[in-house]
Amino acid sequence: MPNYKLFMSLFLCLFAMFLNSCSSNKPSTYKKSKALLDTFITITVVAESKEKADNAIENAFDVIEKYGDLINFFSDTSELSDINRNAGIHGVRISPETLDTIEKAVYVSEKSGGAFDPTIGPEIKLWDFLNKIKPSDAEIRRNLPLVNYKNIIIDRDKSTVFLKKKGMLLDLGGIAKGYAADLAVQELKEKGINAGLVAVAGDIKAFGLKPDKKPWVVGIKNPRQKNKDDEIIARMPLRDKAISTSGDYERFFVMDGQRFHHLLVPSTGYPAYTCQSVTVIADKGVTTDGFDNAMFILGPEKGIELATKMGLDAMIIDNKGAIHTTTGLQGKFTIERNH
Amino acid sequence: MADRLLFILLISVSIAGIFISKDALSQGSDVIIEVDGKPAYTLPLYANRLLTVGGPYGNTLIEIQGGKVRVKEAHCRNQLCVREGWISKGVIVCLPNKLVVIVGGSKKDRQQGIDAITG
Repeated sequence: MPNYKLFMSLFLCLFAMFLNSCSSNKPSTYKKSKALLDTFITITVVAESKEKADNAIENAFDVIEKYGDLINFFSDTSELSDINRNAGIHGVRISPETLDTIEKAVYVSEKSGGAFDPTIGPEIKLWDFLNKIKPSDAEIRRNLPLVNYKNIIIDRDKSTVFLKKKGMLLDLGGIAKGYAADLAVQELKEKGINAGLVAVAGDIKAFGLKPDKKPWVVGIKNPRQKNKDDEIIARMPLRDKAISTSGDYERFFVMDGQRFHHLLVPSTGYPAYTCQSVTVIADKGVTTDGFDNAMFILGPEKGIELATKMGLDAMIIDNKGAIHTTTGLQGKFTIERNH
Repeated sequence: MADRLLFILLISVSIAGIFISKDALSQGSDVIIEVDGKPAYTLPLYANRLLTVGGPYGNTLIEIQGGKVRVKEAHCRNQLCVREGWISKGVIVCLPNKLVVIVGGSKKDRQQGIDAITG
């Protein structure tokens, strides 16, 4: 009965495939969002069960929330506010996470020659982008001496940070979201998750592969979106990489035909005008988040130069809408049809 | 015996086929109806429906059927929109009624394959 054996084995194969496709142990993606760090965070994980996914995601949210409490610029009880209150007075003992974030911020400042500066606080607080309030030239000039990352004194052994001048304000907003994405991914991995995507607003970290064994795909926002069909300018497949974008469209207002946005040049206190957006890809979120700011200030040529020197990948859209990329990115991403 | 097994095999294949094609058909397209330059209605292309849209020349009757859309009745003079017939992609414009019918990918389609957005 050779036919019988053939049919039986075919049938069993098909039955096994069918069972496999319905089995609850097949990895799926699970996604949850939460408002934290004054922004919107979405975590996607690949897991065998909803229970495992939920547990890991909730733990990752907790880690982000705790971190946010330490570095919140606007909360009186944060470690960051403690440092700022004691500027020019004494150093403040802080947690390893806050210390590490400040060290990483200073590192980006040094590597970018001060294009990124976490002591930009006194200038940023003069602007009100929501109510379209532009500070006077005199006000901007007056606070400039308070902006200098070299006046951040870090004592690693004592775990303290001291701001040398009274009135200095450390603002970690340009790097903390990327750092938070790193922390969340670390937590997810500790909870046994092998693949996922953590999006702290536009600071995203991807690890592992999707259930279909393909990399995660991140869309890069079009800085001059005209309608709902052109929200994305390019798409970038990612695996075990972080991606961040800084754009002049995030917090801005237009006055007398001029756009004023939140990416201020530390040496002048005014917005930088050579780019519309800068996207950076690297291993860590803290790197991409810090360097996208720095490159935005530096402009397309010097920005790409810095990225290449640092071994990072970058896509810069200049003020005319032209796209510049590092050579490492060539062939690795697609630009949407309508651009 | 072999015949019976063949029968079971064929049944199994067709059941598997249902699961596979259900996945493939889950993408949809949208019919977007703009009135006076503003999006007024967004409807799925894969659900049969009749819709009346008011305008300067009275009501225009739009019909969606079998993955296609047409202007069934209009009270404008030249009836260009009605003569356009059924479309499954593209645009029908009725200038006198300031009415535009667009068949496009749904938001899900446009951003298909994107897991997150940076920026």
